[in-house]
Amino acid sequence: MDIIWQGIKRAAILIFTGNREIYEILFLTLKVSGSAVFFSMLLGIPVGVLVGLNKFTLKRLVVAIINTGMGLPPVAAGLIVALFIWRSGPFGFLELMYTPAAIVIAQVLIASPIIAGITLAAVQQIDPKLIQQALSLGANRFQVFWILIREARLPALAAIMAGFGGIISEVGAVTMVGGNIKGETRVLTTATVQMVRMGNFAVAIALVVILLILAFGVNFLLTLIQQKESVGWFRRF
Amino acid sequence: MVQKILRITGLKKRYNSKFCLTVDNIYTEKGKILTIIGPNGSGKSTLIRLINLLEKPDSGKIYFNNCEISGRGVKSTEVRKKMAVVFQEPLLFNTSVYNNIIMGLKIRKIKISEVKDRVDYFINKLKIESLLNRSTRNLSGGEKQRVSLARAMVLDPELLLLDEPLANIDQSSRESLRLDLFEVLKSYGKSVVYVTHDRNEAMVLADDIAVMDKGKILQFAGKEEVFRKPKNEFIARFVGVETIVNGIILESRRNVCRVGTGEENNNNEIFVVGSEKKNTAVTLAIRPEDVILYNTDISSSESSAMNLFKGNIIEIKDIGIFKRVEIDCGFALSSFVTQDSISRLNLSVGRKIFAAVKASSIHMFKR
Repeated sequence: MDIIWQGIKRAAILIFTGNREIYEILFLTLKVSGSAVFFSMLLGIPVGVLVGLNKFTLKRLVVAIINTGMGLPPVAAGLIVALFIWRSGPFGFLELMYTPAAIVIAQVLIASPIIAGITLAAVQQIDPKLIQQALSLGANRFQVFWILIREARLPALAAIMAGFGGIISEVGAVTMVGGNIKGETRVLTTATVQMVRMGNFAVAIALVVILLILAFGVNFLLTLIQQKESVGWFRRF
Repeated sequence: MVQKILRITGLKKRYNSKFCLTVDNIYTEKGKILTIIGPNGSGKSTLIRLINLLEKPDSGKIYFNNCEISGRGVKSTEVRKKMAVVFQEPLLFNTSVYNNIIMGLKIRKIKISEVKDRVDYFINKLKIESLLNRSTRNLSGGEKQRVSLARAMVLDPELLLLDEPLANIDQSSRESLRLDLFEVLKSYGKSVVYVTHDRNEAMVLADDIAVMDKGKILQFAGKEEVFRKPKNEFIARFVGVETIVNGIILESRRNVCRVGTGEENNNNEIFVVGSEKKNTAVTLAIRPEDVILYNTDISSSESSAMNLFKGNIIEIKDIGIFKRVEIDCGFALSSFVTQDSISRLNLSVGRKIFAAVKASSIHMFKR
């Protein structure tokens, strides 16, 4: 019991005195996972809208692939990325292995199917007559596309939350392609694993508390936006 | 020649497993209101979607401003930008009422500052000023349709397509919306295609009427002609044949109005039960079943009917179980009689005849 209490106390000191190593890890994590969510949005939302909106022959197959991607084990994502960027792999010449860029790629592979899948489901919920209405107002394909993204903005926010939650807490893929190099590719999760292995519980607790605050903070912010939007809907009941 | 804003020829479109929409020839002129009337499932909405290029016809041609728009190589987005549609269900976007109203303007890249007067005009006429900042999610059906109408009308389209805008609205708000919408449409002056299954709406609004059933246009003609000379029994039953006379209230007392008709409003005076104010412009509708024919001139002391007309028979036509007798008595008055009565009264074209109609059986609509 004492170990835990001591750990929490030391963790608080580390956080509040601005321990350099811990904050470096925090900023790297934010940078990496932030860009990964950003790219996943750029990829996942349009793909979700386009697949949800259009009818094409292999639609079922594509939807099945996206849904599988939503449940893709992170280690599998890590392995796929590793195979491609390994020194002797097809993209080995880019020398991405064990860089933050490699982590971003792996996280995009994990988060974009989640975002695409939720967006797809949301877009399919939209009344097709609304598309007809947009067209009759004179919208071209591009405008219809934007109008639908706007219509699906609440579920899209949920998708972003889920995507962010999925990658910020992930260890396997990050370790595999990032390598947990101190000061370069060490993020909150991999650092925590490392600290526990070293018996340095105080730092581990500090890192996990930061991780929790981060996950909570981002989700709280997005939830605020989402609930503000839907308050009118609630009032009807 | 008046410009035909819309013309449809030889159109065919399969619209469900049973029926094929067939339109041989209908058109509407600039500034006129064409009403398409028919029961549910008759293909009216499909016709609207075809005109708006939301569906492609299997064959046939649609002309808009004398340009064929149904063919290949037509930029459908550009054509749609000259029209506006209000669908039966008000389809609003999940944002504020005001943003919905200006949605079409934004899509068409029309500067809102340049059309502010028009936007304000329709917001005012459709009585939605107080809703502008509300979210569309908690509006009533009637309010939603008002927003949908405003959104279409602020676009100032060359052709406005209204697909049963009142059909999905609950009874309580339908009447007030009908009044407001019709008032806007009467001073609108633009070309309108108005789809409805309600004969009263057609009677008040239409310049021309196309009657549809099971995908076919059964009759396409001016309003008076469709109501007075329905081509067949279905139309007669559906539109509820009427003699239609326009007039002005000359006097109104004790719930009886004296209505002047004809060009100078002094041709024929017709008595109608009602309490409209003096000088109100009205449309009178007389059902042919309510017109009783006499061979001899009866005076007002011999009949309880307040309206006694005389004239010559101009047509006798078979329309199923009845014969329709049309009499020229300053206006064209239709009467339904049985074959038996025709022979009993010895009716024939050109003969002089007398007719009586009770003041209480004439329907009066404000114009």
